Amino acid sequence: MSKTAMAILAGLVAGAIGAYWLTDNSADVASSQFGLAEVGNEVAEQQPATKNTPPAPALEGNSAPVPSDENLAQTAPAQTPSAPAATQPPAGSQASDVDETALRYFARQGDTKRLQAEIARLRALYPDWTPPADPLAVPPQTDAQLDQMWQLYSQGKYAELRKTIADRRIREPNWQPPQDLLDRLAVAEARERLINASNLKQFETVVRVAADTPSLLTCSEVDVLWRVAEAFAMTSRSDRARDAYLYVLKNCENPAERLATVQKALPLLPRDLLDQLLATEKPGPDDAGEFAAIRADLVRESVAAGGADPPATVPEADVTTLESLAQRDGLAADARLLGWYYLRHEDAARAEKWFSTARRTEDTAETSQGLALALLELNRPAEAEDALYKWRDASDTVRTVYFAAVAELLALQPPPSLEPMVLQRIVSAVAAAKNATGAQQLGWYAHAFGQEETAGQWFSAALGWKPDDEASAYGLAVVRMALGDKKGVTEIQRQWADRSERIATMTGPQVKTAAVPFANGPKRQTTEVRDGPSDAVSGEAAPASTTGSDSGDAARQPNRRGCSKTDLYSPATGEAALTRGWCLMELNRPSEAVVAFEAAFQGGRGAVQRDAAWGQTLAYVRLGLADEAAVAAARMPQTHERTLDLEASILSLRATGFFEKKRYAETILALDQRARIAPERLDLMTMRGYAYLALRRINEARQIFQALAAAGDPQGQRGLGAVRATIDPTPQD
Amino acid sequence: MKHFLVACIFLAALSTANASNAAPLVAAADWAAYKQKFLDPSGRIIDDGNGGISHSEGQGYGLLLAYLAGSRADFDLIWSFTKTELLLRDDHLAVWKWEPAASPHVTDINNATDGDVLIAYSLARAGKDWAVPEFLDTAADIVKAIAATSLTEHEGRVLLLPGASGFAAQDRNDGPVVNMSYWVFEAFPVFAELDPSTDWKKVAKDGLNLLAVAEIGPKRLPPDWLSLQATPKPAEGFPPEFGYNALRVPLYVLRSGIADAGLLYPFAEMNASGGIVITDVATGEVRQILTDPGYRIISALTACALSETPVPAELKSFTPTLYYPSTLHLLGLAYLAEHQGRCL
Repeated sequence: MSKTAMAILAGLVAGAIGAYWLTDNSADVASSQFGLAEVGNEVAEQQPATKNTPPAPALEGNSAPVPSDENLAQTAPAQTPSAPAATQPPAGSQASDVDETALRYFARQGDTKRLQAEIARLRALYPDWTPPADPLAVPPQTDAQLDQMWQLYSQGKYAELRKTIADRRIREPNWQPPQDLLDRLAVAEARERLINASNLKQFETVVRVAADTPSLLTCSEVDVLWRVAEAFAMTSRSDRARDAYLYVLKNCENPAERLATVQKALPLLPRDLLDQLLATEKPGPDDAGEFAAIRADLVRESVAAGGADPPATVPEADVTTLESLAQRDGLAADARLLGWYYLRHEDAARAEKWFSTARRTEDTAETSQGLALALLELNRPAEAEDALYKWRDASDTVRTVYFAAVAELLALQPPPSLEPMVLQRIVSAVAAAKNATGAQQLGWYAHAFGQEETAGQWFSAALGWKPDDEASAYGLAVVRMALGDKKGVTEIQRQWADRSERIATMTGPQVKTAAVPFANGPKRQTTEVRDGPSDAVSGEAAPASTTGSDSGDAARQPNRRGCSKTDLYSPATGEAALTRGWCLMELNRPSEAVVAFEAAFQGGRGAVQRDAAWGQTLAYVRLGLADEAAVAAARMPQTHERTLDLEASILSLRATGFFEKKRYAETILALDQRARIAPERLDLMTMRGYAYLALRRINEARQIFQALAAAGDPQGQRGLGAVRATIDPTPQD
Repeated sequence: MKHFLVACIFLAALSTANASNAAPLVAAADWAAYKQKFLDPSGRIIDDGNGGISHSEGQGYGLLLAYLAGSRADFDLIWSFTKTELLLRDDHLAVWKWEPAASPHVTDINNATDGDVLIAYSLARAGKDWAVPEFLDTAADIVKAIAATSLTEHEGRVLLLPGASGFAAQDRNDGPVVNMSYWVFEAFPVFAELDPSTDWKKVAKDGLNLLAVAEIGPKRLPPDWLSLQATPKPAEGFPPEFGYNALRVPLYVLRSGIADAGLLYPFAEMNASGGIVITDVATGEVRQILTDPGYRIISALTACALSETPVPAELKSFTPTLYYPSTLHLLGLAYLAEHQGRCL
């Protein structure tokens, strides 16, 4: 398409009355307009012949440019006639009719830019017209008053110009102001008003003024077009904002303005509309597209959103593009974004690769944290610990991840043999941070190597830092039992009687082994993990364990089936922690689930908090910790169904606890309470039967067992036997 | 109460023949002196008693005075500024406050209903006399916007709220709050023509009824800001005064052609001293006596209407002092000019 007098786009802008383009080779003044009239679509339908037909090129026409559709002349009202289409001179007009006042004024002022623009404008309007060879030379008759008016115009004194025109019309009733001057004045006032309204965020006014003044919407007023686009975007009309930006990109040539147009649109338009703008890209100076930098930023933003919590959906192409960029430019920040992206999208291997790449260029706490998380997902906790050690104090989040790495490392099965230096620094870090989880893991680690004294010290330290840490109390009991310290075990059992069923029911090594899968059969080590927490604080060297044990229980191994650790680095929404909590429950690791649910509760709100409280409750129930379960349950209101469910579970726990402590009356009480909200399970009925029996409530016991027997439960017959044995201790046959 | 009902409400037919052929109601020399002092070349009316700022009220007065002076050129000048700098709100109303030193110049985008009323009224009259469709169209837009944003029903009356937001019953504990001096009574018959979908005659009638109940306290004077939440009383957060706002009320009543003795009597009594007495409406205490000719002419016109007392000669000549009293002075003189032969 020829650029000369080229006509663009009917149909470019939905809802536009038709923007068109009229220029002269000699100037870059665009007289085309971005149309705003709401009636555009209807008009286009009524006039299909013109809808997609470019206007006749002005230079080939007889006298005047032809608007892209006839309605322009109808819809552009008389008060905004500075649009060339609306100021059509009479057909057959002669060059002598051309009003050269403005042109001569600009020439006298030496305002070359305006002079050129005026020449271009008049040429477009009057194809037969030839600009005067010397605009300064003619005409002899000058109009000083009119000159003064043009001066006011070019000084932007529009109100004064209004006054001056009115004054002269009163003084000289036969004088008519040049239409060109009136038109320009109206447009200039509209421009001021539009900009003022835009600065005050009166966006409806902006759109109204623009719609009333279509001749304002041209490439020579890109700022106005931007403001109109903004007004559309800010009043939920993104499509029309897109049209306005697109108008600039399709019609205006200034590279800086084109780039600025896309930058203006960036915060205002959704991605799909932005992509339409980017599609108008032209080749830039160095072969890259003119919007290459913006594209890269968009892709970065997109991939970053995909690495956030919760992750946004990211077009595959964006990821690929950023990978190419990262490879080409080698920016650590790009590699890091990719690392987070892949970590969120459960591709730890790729995440590890990108974090490592980033870290080679620039080792930061954030990069190392990401790398550590990727390594943890890959079950490579030793490397994770190594990557994060020097950053462990950078932030609370980093510290959390570091100690997670430590815990995972120490909990590996078989227990890993650690370099003395590594063990020493872990010991120091745990002690310095008073990290109870780390201490507990060091306890189990020492225990695994048969270093019971050291293990006991670590469990005690953990309890000192976190007195309600049931797992450490349990560990301490296990250690004391292994050391044959029955008194010590009893002491712990006394302290935890109401809080931990598994501690309360520890009776001996056999039970312990069954209940504690990871406490069984540690192989004696040739060297001891001798240094307890007090040693660590004093900085004594820690002898390393030399060989690992191969007898560990697989259940001890964390993340055998990975529960995502994303909550470790983004406590923001709590959702990741919640997911991890449920995952751990599925793996039957309720004590860890308690911690994850706590994180979810702290980080989340609304439904996440409610579910976190519920999950924590169930985890406590599974741990046999009825009181903790009740406390957790009370943190958030739950559905009626959940509440009943939960109360039933807690009451079952209570009943079982009482029964085991031979507190039969309380057992019955708990069972009665439970029976009011849930049907009694057969195992609980059995318990009830024996409780009655123990209380010598023989008839009730018999009824229960008979009912069980009638239901076909073998416990029924067995219970009836017990009833008979109670009544008559003589063995029955 | 001195009166329970406004017995005789008479909205005078507007004189529309004055500006074009008869002598202007604001004398050319007076207008020249006024604009020399208060009209910036850029088209803004300068409130020199208020830090040199401009506002929608001032622009409205400026337009009205330019129209009454028959000065189309000055009207165009003031209108160009008003339109491009103040008539910016999405709801078609004017932002009220413009400061020369601020950027952007508009420092409060709220509207003030009296400014909108004055602007629309002036545009309507000028548009009709000078046959300018743009003026009439814009006036109609503003009138409809006032109706849409600032009229509200309260206990059977239509109220003209002082702004599009902040004064209604739901906006304030003591709401609705009104300002009686925002009823520019002469404007409402014109509005009725421009906007037939709103009962502007009722707005005027209810306004006069309201004025009767707004005259409270021992001196039976309306406070500047009046709460109608229960029994009419001064609004919270404002001095409980008959002050600079309300002192315009008798001028507006008179200019609209209403000569209701009952309504005007408290103003005349208060004005016995010759100046306008800023009064604590609750106690009747005198706060300040205003003696600028622009204030005194209001007293004189009230006395004229009630008892045919001649207007003192020194008030019939105009020398600009400060924007506000000088504006009132010219409006008072325009009233006198319109009623040739009265109280002279």
